[in-house]
Amino acid sequence: MVNFTVDQIRDLMDKVSNIRNMSVIAHVDHGKSTLTDSLVAKAGIISSAKAGEARFTDTRADEQERGITIKSTAISMYFELNDDQMEDIPVKDNGNGFLINLIDSPGHVDFSSEVTAALRVTDGALVVVDTISGVSVQTETVLRQALSELIKPVVMINKVDRALLETKLTQEVLYQNFARVVENVNVSISTHQDEKTMGNLMVSPELGTVAFGSALHGWAFTLRQFAVRYSKKFGIDRNKMMKKLWGENYFNAKTKKWSTKSADDSGDKKDRAFNMFALDPIYKIFDSTMNGRKDEALALATKLDIALTSEERDTADKALLKVIMRKFLPAAEALMEMICIHLPSPKKAQAYRCDLLYEGPKDDENATGIRNCDPKAPLMLYVSKMVPTSDKGRFYAFGRVFSGTVASGLKVRIQGPDYVPGTKKDLHVKNIQRTVLMMGRSTDPIDDCPAGNIVGLVGVDQYLLKSGTLTTSETAHNMKVMKFSVSPVMQVAVDVKNHQDLPKLIEGLKRLSKSDPCIQTFTSPSGEHIVAGAGELHLEICLFDLENDHAQVPIKTGEPVVGYCETVQATSSLTCLSKSPNKHNRIFMQAAPIGDDLTKAIEEKEINPRDDFKERARRMADDFEWDVNEARKIWCFAPDGEGPNLLVDNTKGVQYLNEIKDSCCNGLQAVAHDGPCANEQMRGCRFNIMDVVLHADSIHRGAGQVMPAMRAVVYASMLSAKPTLQEPVYLVDVQCPESAIGGIYSVFNRRRGQVFEENMHSSSMYNVKAYLPVAESFGFTTDLRSATAGQAFPQMVFDHWSTMGGDATDPADKVNAVCRAIRKRKGEDENVPTYDKYHERL
Amino acid sequence: MLYIIGLGLADERDITVKGLEAVKSSERVYLESYTSILMVNKERLEEFYGKEVLIAHRETVESFSDDILKDADKVNISFLVVGDPFGATTHTDLVIRAHELGIEVKSIHNASIMNAVGATGLQLYSFGQTISVVFFTESWRPDSFYDRIKENSTLGLHTLCLLDIKVREQSIENMMRNRPIYEPPRYMTVNQAVDQLLEVEEKRKEKAYTEDTLAVGVSRLGSDDQVIKAGTLKQLLDVDFGEPLHSLVLVGHRIHLLEAEILRENAVDLEHLNLVLKRDYNVDK
Repeated sequence: MVNFTVDQIRDLMDKVSNIRNMSVIAHVDHGKSTLTDSLVAKAGIISSAKAGEARFTDTRADEQERGITIKSTAISMYFELNDDQMEDIPVKDNGNGFLINLIDSPGHVDFSSEVTAALRVTDGALVVVDTISGVSVQTETVLRQALSELIKPVVMINKVDRALLETKLTQEVLYQNFARVVENVNVSISTHQDEKTMGNLMVSPELGTVAFGSALHGWAFTLRQFAVRYSKKFGIDRNKMMKKLWGENYFNAKTKKWSTKSADDSGDKKDRAFNMFALDPIYKIFDSTMNGRKDEALALATKLDIALTSEERDTADKALLKVIMRKFLPAAEALMEMICIHLPSPKKAQAYRCDLLYEGPKDDENATGIRNCDPKAPLMLYVSKMVPTSDKGRFYAFGRVFSGTVASGLKVRIQGPDYVPGTKKDLHVKNIQRTVLMMGRSTDPIDDCPAGNIVGLVGVDQYLLKSGTLTTSETAHNMKVMKFSVSPVMQVAVDVKNHQDLPKLIEGLKRLSKSDPCIQTFTSPSGEHIVAGAGELHLEICLFDLENDHAQVPIKTGEPVVGYCETVQATSSLTCLSKSPNKHNRIFMQAAPIGDDLTKAIEEKEINPRDDFKERARRMADDFEWDVNEARKIWCFAPDGEGPNLLVDNTKGVQYLNEIKDSCCNGLQAVAHDGPCANEQMRGCRFNIMDVVLHADSIHRGAGQVMPAMRAVVYASMLSAKPTLQEPVYLVDVQCPESAIGGIYSVFNRRRGQVFEENMHSSSMYNVKAYLPVAESFGFTTDLRSATAGQAFPQMVFDHWSTMGGDATDPADKVNAVCRAIRKRKGEDENVPTYDKYHERL
Repeated sequence: MLYIIGLGLADERDITVKGLEAVKSSERVYLESYTSILMVNKERLEEFYGKEVLIAHRETVESFSDDILKDADKVNISFLVVGDPFGATTHTDLVIRAHELGIEVKSIHNASIMNAVGATGLQLYSFGQTISVVFFTESWRPDSFYDRIKENSTLGLHTLCLLDIKVREQSIENMMRNRPIYEPPRYMTVNQAVDQLLEVEEKRKEKAYTEDTLAVGVSRLGSDDQVIKAGTLKQLLDVDFGEPLHSLVLVGHRIHLLEAEILRENAVDLEHLNLVLKRDYNVDK
């Protein structure tokens, strides 16, 4: 453990080419936090920290208890490379010392919004994969997230100790296992990488971008380390040696010859170089220590130049194994080396990430500042999440300085996600009270923090809901908002047990919303307080926090319910009409579906309300068969100005139409969260304004007149266009032994689940993939465990919306019954209205 | 019978004798409270009529007219409108709905700003289209009135500008969330109207008017403390017209000598007025 003072760390922050900002990402239980621990033990630089304490980055009591990570946590580490290692560092103008800012992130899908927040502030990612269970659904999800943020990955294949001790794989089987994991990772990478911007990011052991090891035992290696060891012995260049240590390269120990074939002409079997040079010593150590041949083990240690203390020599079996392995192949050494050599510095990364991250012109001073990671340029800082302080109700704004330098007392523009350049919308100009260094459980004040570093800010939390951009430039646009891979599809109503606690609950809900990047809290039209999260576990944790931390009053929660969407399946059967309250204005409208592809494109922000409208129209014409002229006349996206519903002006030659445009848009926004069938959010609808009749004087066609007319006509046109619901569906990934498969099928069958893939991925483990409606997922995990005697482990992540079909206005229809149930729950008239409730006849 | 009764301009005693008789004969009396206001409160009306007066907000009139029209086929109902019943187009819908229900409607007329504006000395014959100036918001700055003014000024006609009042309106945000929270009342002043007019001219630059255009600002017309001031738009920007309601007239080029005479009586700055009259309106003493 290196002990650094805060001042020393601050000095390191200026040496931008020697900084590495990285996240550790993986599927749940693949060993991220354990791995992080072994790194912290070696190189953490927090003077007060206790070395080797378990799960250092799991700062919360419930994280330690459950053994899962819930919040992402940052930690800084210092590592010095030797001169030999420095040869592989591209930019070496700042000496051998490296500052590594590592963020440990949760693996459970329910918390993957935390991963998104972590990825935004880092440039590289260490992807941890379990040797035995291989690339899992969440591994793919986090990889995809990382690549879409232009994060460079390196891989650690973990839990190799289990492969040796429990499954006792032979060397060749283990090699094949490694090769398959690497290949699977690369399949994901090649699908999602942006080769034009970042080059090929596929990982490979012979390049040194894959490490193998055991986080639990504290050892790991990359081929680079073995190559260094053997290049002297064989007199082969290190980089050439690395290539020989992987793939189809064999060595004949008798003839001392290399070959690319496993058997030569004489029929002599040769060993794969990887097995012979890398695995064999490891197998020997395992074999000798675990089988009680201590003398042989100690002799091996001596041969490998491993110096053991006399106390260590007294240990035996597993303890001895760990000691020898840890000294033979120290994990921190291998991983830090891999991180420093292969992950980009902020300077390098921001050069290509700038275009993706900054929404403004690509050539303004702010973009240039980000691209050059210039500490003297205007400040550009992105706050990616809020971290609770010890002071109840206050938060540190956690973020990354991309340009300029942030300092205590600096006056900054705080631009929320709704900020529009040139206006005062969602903008506050305030002083930063304090800048702090965030270090796992503790924080230390620092005076300032230059571009390329991760920082915590005090005094910003009141002005930002969850995330936003901080800048000193008046012309700065926002940094792009983060795109989450999970949606808050599961909702629960909360209420206080004692009525007088209500104000505390409301305050608590606000804090809860701030503390989690993905959670939503809102009040339903019927007055219930709703918390929406990604899944059961997510909600459980959030409600626990709400009761114990944020509100600190006893609360009661309703049954979790599922958020649906409302959509249409046809063009309105007639042109609907609604009049303004004063009857002097009329709006004629038809609704129609926009199709799944366009809906998704809007949700993925590929079709974006902020794009140039001409360019957007062109793309909509090319990719989604829209008429260009109609696509140019999209008035707004709804809800919230960005959702997948469109208001389109189809009128011809109406005077002063522009004067009511805003009111029309507001009218749609006002109802887009509450569709006519069940008060659920609208999705995938297009509303065509066919014609309008307006009063001659603008005073009679203000918002108070146009908005109510707009609302009514939107409802009428939806209700006459075969409205229905869409329900959210999870993708479920279950890992289990063969014997449990029958139980899995029966649980899915009971819950409207559809199994669509079944793979055997190692000798006895199966991987079952299925779709499961979120509405059927309550208690699914428990149910599955009991049906399979605890052998099956499911991971559920929101996958898509499934249209339920039928017609919600038809009382005989199934979907109508679902609507009625929702309406009843919301305390409304159970009957789904028909279009004539809102349509006015002439 | 539904009586739609004009109340005139200023106080409770501006009602006509015929109107007062109708009120006295009525079962229920509604006061429409959102298109204009009297300079006295409802209690003064009640005292004067010896009857309870129900306030009818915008929602009541527009969305719940059936409540107002209830039993009007059997008993008399009075619907009081400040000014003249049909001064603005707003209440034609009420008449249509009453007819649909087979209810007889009788309207009793009174003075309105539309005719009382003659007090400025400008001849009613020479007025063009009337326009409204609405409160601009950050995102909503409708300027379609500019075209109306331009049409008028091309013909040399005067333009009566009615100024926005917001007696009881929801903010856009509250409207979007369907919250029945209303903003405090606001009445546009002549100064605000002139400011907005000049902003639009600045944008359109078609010279429908300029800051040197003559205009007459009036406030509380018909009451004892009415104010009438004539001057250029620029001058009116700073004249204090006092309590609401305010209106504004833009003076057209076809101005008659007599009209000019009364303008002089109400001049903010006589010397400058004469100068502008001579220079821009071709009117000499």
